[in-house]
Amino acid sequence: MALPESHASRTRATMAALRLSLLTFMADPQWLVPSMIAPVIFGLVSFELFRGEGPYFLTYAILGAGMMSMWGQTLYGSGWATGQDRVFGTLEPTIQAPTPYLYVVLGRIVWNVAAGLLGGLIVYVVVVVAAGGPPALPNPVVFVVLFLFVMVTLASVGVVFAAAYVYTRYAGFIQNVGEFAFYVGTGCMFPVILLPFWTNPIALLFPPTWALDALRYLSIPGYVGFGWGWQWDLVGAVGVTAVYAAIAGSVFHRVERHVLESGNLSDY
Amino acid sequence: MSDDPAIEVTNLTRVFESRKGFLFREVERTPALKGVNLSVGNGAIFGLLGPNGAGKTTLVKILSTLLLPTSGTARVLGHDVAHEAEWLRPRIGLVLGGERGLYNRISGRENLRYFADLYGLPIAERDARIREVLERVDLVSAADRRVEGYSRGMKQKLHIARGILHRPSILFLDEPTIGLDPKSARETRKLVRSLVSDGVTILLTTHYMFEAEELCPELAILSRGQIVAKDTIPGLRRRVGGDRTIEVDAYGFDDREMAQLRVLPGVSKVASEEFGPRMRLTLRVRTEEVRPDQVAAMLPNHPELTVRERRTSLEDVYLDLVEEEAT
Repeated sequence: MALPESHASRTRATMAALRLSLLTFMADPQWLVPSMIAPVIFGLVSFELFRGEGPYFLTYAILGAGMMSMWGQTLYGSGWATGQDRVFGTLEPTIQAPTPYLYVVLGRIVWNVAAGLLGGLIVYVVVVVAAGGPPALPNPVVFVVLFLFVMVTLASVGVVFAAAYVYTRYAGFIQNVGEFAFYVGTGCMFPVILLPFWTNPIALLFPPTWALDALRYLSIPGYVGFGWGWQWDLVGAVGVTAVYAAIAGSVFHRVERHVLESGNLSDY
Repeated sequence: MSDDPAIEVTNLTRVFESRKGFLFREVERTPALKGVNLSVGNGAIFGLLGPNGAGKTTLVKILSTLLLPTSGTARVLGHDVAHEAEWLRPRIGLVLGGERGLYNRISGRENLRYFADLYGLPIAERDARIREVLERVDLVSAADRRVEGYSRGMKQKLHIARGILHRPSILFLDEPTIGLDPKSARETRKLVRSLVSDGVTILLTTHYMFEAEELCPELAILSRGQIVAKDTIPGLRRRVGGDRTIEVDAYGFDDREMAQLRVLPGVSKVASEEFGPRMRLTLRVRTEEVRPDQVAAMLPNHPELTVRERRTSLEDVYLDLVEEEAT
């Protein structure tokens, strides 16, 4: 009798979900558009928009188009996959399996981060090829690490969204309402500091806001963000991400209990 | 094998709540199970029959830890489904069947591999076990094809393969042959029988009386959220008044004739039904003393009379009990 009590079993469930995401991706050509084709278009449009806008226009172009390519997939991909589980009727057998559903979601998150990074990489290559050379980055190693961390912050919010998809079949409605507000409000499109002041405290409730501000501080000399520098932004991002991770663990446990009470797992 | 029941349900209720309206939301409560008591022994197929909406799937979902009861207790393999789901889930197999519930864009084998990993099947034996269950449900040749190309019967086989993949001690089969062609349905029943010989306890819900009669030594009838009968098939026949049925057809019977038949020794029940201009009397008969020719002799004024005798079917039992409960 298989008893998946150990961490090894949970890791296997996460790897299995990652593998399933990859197989599903390869089986469905529609994903080529947001994952491979859209980043090329975003990169070219962004390059043309920012061309000649100061010495760091390449960094602006890469950050703007890169985030546009990555954020949606990383933030909502896992929730969307859970919504698909409802539509396919696979949510019931997956919840009925002994591994907590959170570990399945984590596997999907890993996949979506990887797919998002691929989009970011495509943007980078497109912009660099269009410009004829790479951008001047003051600290390229820290930039790469921070770039990866931005993905982690998006993923941490994505887990909470995935819980909403388990909780209710109407999660897609919540996502559609919040999608653009979140995109603008966390600074994916442009620095949050450009928005009205009252929006700033709300924006700081989300980990990507901190991480994106840190990324801009690091890569664009003279950037004026929240004013406390990239190191404190990073501390804030780590703290808020940790809070989201803790919330996600607790929320998933409660949500699983709730859906067993309400009996809506097969609704779609 | 343990003498403890595989399933024990006590005063189980389940109420579903749904909300209506937008601003002023009204809560509508629909009771699906109303105080169900049930005990199922180990190592056999137990049938659960009932009309649509009787609560069969609700009961199966509670027993397989997919739904929490509103009140009462349900124990499977001696463990409470509401509080010991973690212990139970690796030991339970669930087959809900139908067109949904599978990843259609990937192959049958990949579907099984995914769930084998979720169930923590040891990696060393995973692929061999997948081959074994694919052979068992006769899906080896289609194993590497996408599920979206499978027929309904093949999907049902894949559902069953997934249900038994982790070698559960107890398997819940919810209407496993619904929508299948006769050949696929027969193969599925053969497969179900073979699982019992492996020592798996099976709880099977079905609408098909012949299927229950063929597979289940013992069964329960669930109607409007309550168990109205639980017994072996001969026991259920006795309960509705006999294992023989005499059907008498003619162009109408008067009350006197029906009263005469009712008081015949050995006749436990006389029911009447109209078929266009003709009327059918159905007599449940307990003893061999009542013979068709004797009944015909009591109805001399009907030259067009037809009388036939048959064994009381499970369908007769089912309809009698469900109607009795409804009235």
